[in-house]
Amino acid sequence: MTDTAMAATALGKRFGRRGGWALRDCAFRLPAGRVCAVVGPNGAGKSTLLALAAGLLAPTEGGVTVLGTDPASARARVGYVAQDKPLYPQLTVAETLRVGADLNPDRWDAETAGRIVSAGELDPKKKIRSLSGGQRTRVALALALGKRPELLLLDEPMADLDPLARHELMGTLMARAAQYGTTIVMSSHVVAELEDSCDHLLLVGGGRIRLAGEIDDLLGAHARVSTAVSTTAGAAGPAPATGGAPGGPPDLAPHTVVESRVTGRQLTALVRPAGPLAEDWRASTPSLEELVLAYLRNPQAAPLTPAEPEEAAV
Amino acid sequence: MTPAAPADAPAGPAGRRDDDTTEDGTGTGRADGRTAWGTARTVLRLHRTALLVWTAAVLFLNGWLVRLDKTATQGEFAEWEACERAGQDLCDMPVGWVGHSEWLACIGLLISFCFLAVAAFAGGTLIGRELENGTARLAWAQGITPARWLTAKLAVPALALTAGTTALLLVYRRVWGAHQNLTYSGWTGDDAYLSRGPAGLAYVLCALAVGVLTALLLRRALPALAVSVAATGLLAFVVARCRGSFWPTVTRTSAEAGVDPPANAWELENGVLVHGRRTPDLSPWTCDGTAAEARRCLDDLGITGFYTTYHPESHYWPLQLVETGVVLSVAALATAAAFLLLRHRTATASTA
Repeated sequence: MTDTAMAATALGKRFGRRGGWALRDCAFRLPAGRVCAVVGPNGAGKSTLLALAAGLLAPTEGGVTVLGTDPASARARVGYVAQDKPLYPQLTVAETLRVGADLNPDRWDAETAGRIVSAGELDPKKKIRSLSGGQRTRVALALALGKRPELLLLDEPMADLDPLARHELMGTLMARAAQYGTTIVMSSHVVAELEDSCDHLLLVGGGRIRLAGEIDDLLGAHARVSTAVSTTAGAAGPAPATGGAPGGPPDLAPHTVVESRVTGRQLTALVRPAGPLAEDWRASTPSLEELVLAYLRNPQAAPLTPAEPEEAAV
Repeated sequence: MTPAAPADAPAGPAGRRDDDTTEDGTGTGRADGRTAWGTARTVLRLHRTALLVWTAAVLFLNGWLVRLDKTATQGEFAEWEACERAGQDLCDMPVGWVGHSEWLACIGLLISFCFLAVAAFAGGTLIGRELENGTARLAWAQGITPARWLTAKLAVPALALTAGTTALLLVYRRVWGAHQNLTYSGWTGDDAYLSRGPAGLAYVLCALAVGVLTALLLRRALPALAVSVAATGLLAFVVARCRGSFWPTVTRTSAEAGVDPPANAWELENGVLVHGRRTPDLSPWTCDGTAAEARRCLDDLGITGFYTTYHPESHYWPLQLVETGVVLSVAALATAAAFLLLRHRTATASTA
């Protein structure tokens, strides 16, 4: 029906009439079937973005479409796990899953939900309030996956899990994505956690989308260059040895500079090349972590969100 | 809108999915019904303890009332009759104050003001705690809309409360009416006015709605509990102050002496007529002495008669029904406001 899992246009959310904007002017498009990482510092607006997509909040301005319709209409087909993994403390694990079955009468997959819970060796008769953080995460994920979502929104899903459980549950999620084409959107501030499993990136900072696109494309669009300061500073005699002096900044134009730093006689920079790079520069592809950190450290760097949401309408 | 279109759904484990697909073909009504039932069952599961406590309270109070009616009364009734036969005054004093009447009044007060507990439950446990913990979001992230969630959260407790309160009101009404001469306070007393008529039920339902609204406004359990109890208490206080004006009163006048309202009437005002105008500040017993002295005194003051304004006991039903209507209107307004607020907060399906 549609190949867009999620798209936003001029999306903004402000809490309270006088409160600050948690999210403003967000535009992006996420194709279906991707595993998308939503990355950003604490308080960047990641949770707000996911809650808007899940239809739990009404946007202040703009809009977001989910699975080709509005979030409220897509509710039955979207799974969502909130950051603090809220569950009813007075219910047992088995009762929690029964709630999932009752509230999703046409979609509930008891087998999948039961498998995820039993993989954690959880006693179904145990009360939720007696579970550890990681065990609660497991039950919350079972509840979200049990409704056979086409889009799964996970807010910091792996934060409470031990490495073993993290690996196992990540495997379950990826298998789900591969088998049913489920789109998975997960937020985290630990980039390394997502690098292996995600193929799409949304970098949120200061309530805006800073980077959006396929991770490979984003990495390909950037280059980490390093060069000696004296050569690019022009033939002005012996270059100043003190790094970072404004006297001799190497000319990186016409490329878009995300971040540049001078250490000793060495200039390293992360740029978005606008053409061929100078020959005496050593260039390499940055890692995802380097890319994300460079953008987070430099809030003034121009955002790169190539996918226009208008494409979603086609 | 809500029922899943099977074509869009990813294929689940084969057998299960097939069952669902065939059922979907029968129409959306059935799916809606199953969702409604599933949601109601979830609400029952979540508030199991509250339901058990309520059921136990209703059974206990009703049992106590029946026991009062059956056993405790007989002895006292005999005593009262003996007292009456002996021609003593104030027979309800030694009998009523410490026996039947006291317990009956105690239960009556519990029934009349149980809406305060309902307000605490609705504001704190039913909605406030869910919003504070984020479990409300857990429910909204399932296949039901927030509006449907709120509907179930209101409807299931409303049913349980209506059933329980109705039982209490009917039993109390019967027990109170059976031995009215043993009760100390009359039909207008705090213990017997709300606990015998539909207004008692209206307050309970109104407390539920007001509690839900305050919880949605405040989004935290403890403040919502406090505000909701205070708000319903204030409402009950204000309505009780206006109660006398809910139905036209009866006024009796006399030119000779102070008028007494009939037995069991609810006297609202009495006083004297000064040149035909009602003056409640002047007591009918301002002038005393010999008849001639009193006459002169009255003439000096310009007192032409006496009056009393009251509701006879036959006004109980009209007064009850008007009060029920007023309180239920408040409940309806609170419910509508709660739905509007929830609609404003969460994303709703576009009409397109």
